[in-house]
Amino acid sequence: MPEEHDDELAEELRRLAARLDPVPPELLTAAAGAFAWRDIDAELAELVFDSLLDVDEATQVRGSPERRLVSFTGGGVTLDIEVTTTGPARTIMGQIVPPQRGAVDVRRQQETVTTIEADELGRFRSGPLPPGPLSLRLRPAEGTPVVTDWLAL
Amino acid sequence: MDPGEVGQLVTSAASGDATAWQALAERFSGLVWSVTRAFRLGNADAADVFQTTWLRLAENIGRIEQPDRVGAWLATAARRECLQCLRMAGRAVPTDDIDQLEGPPARDNPTEEAILRAEKEQEDAERAVALWRAVSRLPARCHQLIRVLMASPPPSYAEVAAALGLPVGSIGPTRARCLQTLRELLVASGITGSSSLS
Repeated sequence: MPEEHDDELAEELRRLAARLDPVPPELLTAAAGAFAWRDIDAELAELVFDSLLDVDEATQVRGSPERRLVSFTGGGVTLDIEVTTTGPARTIMGQIVPPQRGAVDVRRQQETVTTIEADELGRFRSGPLPPGPLSLRLRPAEGTPVVTDWLAL
Repeated sequence: MDPGEVGQLVTSAASGDATAWQALAERFSGLVWSVTRAFRLGNADAADVFQTTWLRLAENIGRIEQPDRVGAWLATAARRECLQCLRMAGRAVPTDDIDQLEGPPARDNPTEEAILRAEKEQEDAERAVALWRAVSRLPARCHQLIRVLMASPPPSYAEVAAALGLPVGSIGPTRARCLQTLRELLVASGITGSSSLS
């Protein structure tokens, strides 16, 4: 019966992938370790716009890989981030809306957290950052901390 | 593991149970990895997408609307990360064609030499090479579907549908069609019949 042959072939393919292209062990460890990054004290700001996938309403143009615009909203704030790519490095320039001072923790998976200060207009920028997962935690002068959804930089 | 057990793991992890999280990581890492490979990401990009997806689940674990369908949540999240990654890499196509994206096979996917070393018997090795090559030659949509189906443990059709952005009702018929296409590619490469292992 065709269905049995399909099931046999599918099972053979699955075993083949398990032998030839399994999940790398270090990534299994990373998946388990992701739990430690959970910030239960912070509100979550979700990704609401990504110029890579969405079209900007004002310009009707999709952003380029070199200049990517993303927005996160949650916990009463929006973070508008511009990600500039120059070779292997990324730089982020951010704007907190409504504008306010605050500390912005740059959370990267492999590194210790570094902190940038946002000025009185809510603006902040980073130095060069390597690619990989990134999440920002905003610690405003008043109110609850906010963490953005993780993004692959 | 039935959906009820999966849902319970999500609920426990949301309460801070690291052992429950570990079980989720073991259960669904194969699925997330397969989604990255379905979109033909190389090792570095696949690792970034994989890690970002799991970090996102960690942050969102308390907000999952349907805990017993967390596999589909992960597949959807991985899909989104893969599409972002492909755009960042400059494989730019209009949105409606994005699912037809077919990059070149990643340089660091298993080579034929590695396959030959992995198989004990020459016959098995020839079939394994032919099968692996045939999968890589599938048209984009079939490659995506077949590669996600190759995850361990086997994914549900709901999870496959989420990974591909397709209606779940289309997965069964598309699977049958793509397996037939795969058989035709095998026949064309001179390999006939079913596996000597079955």
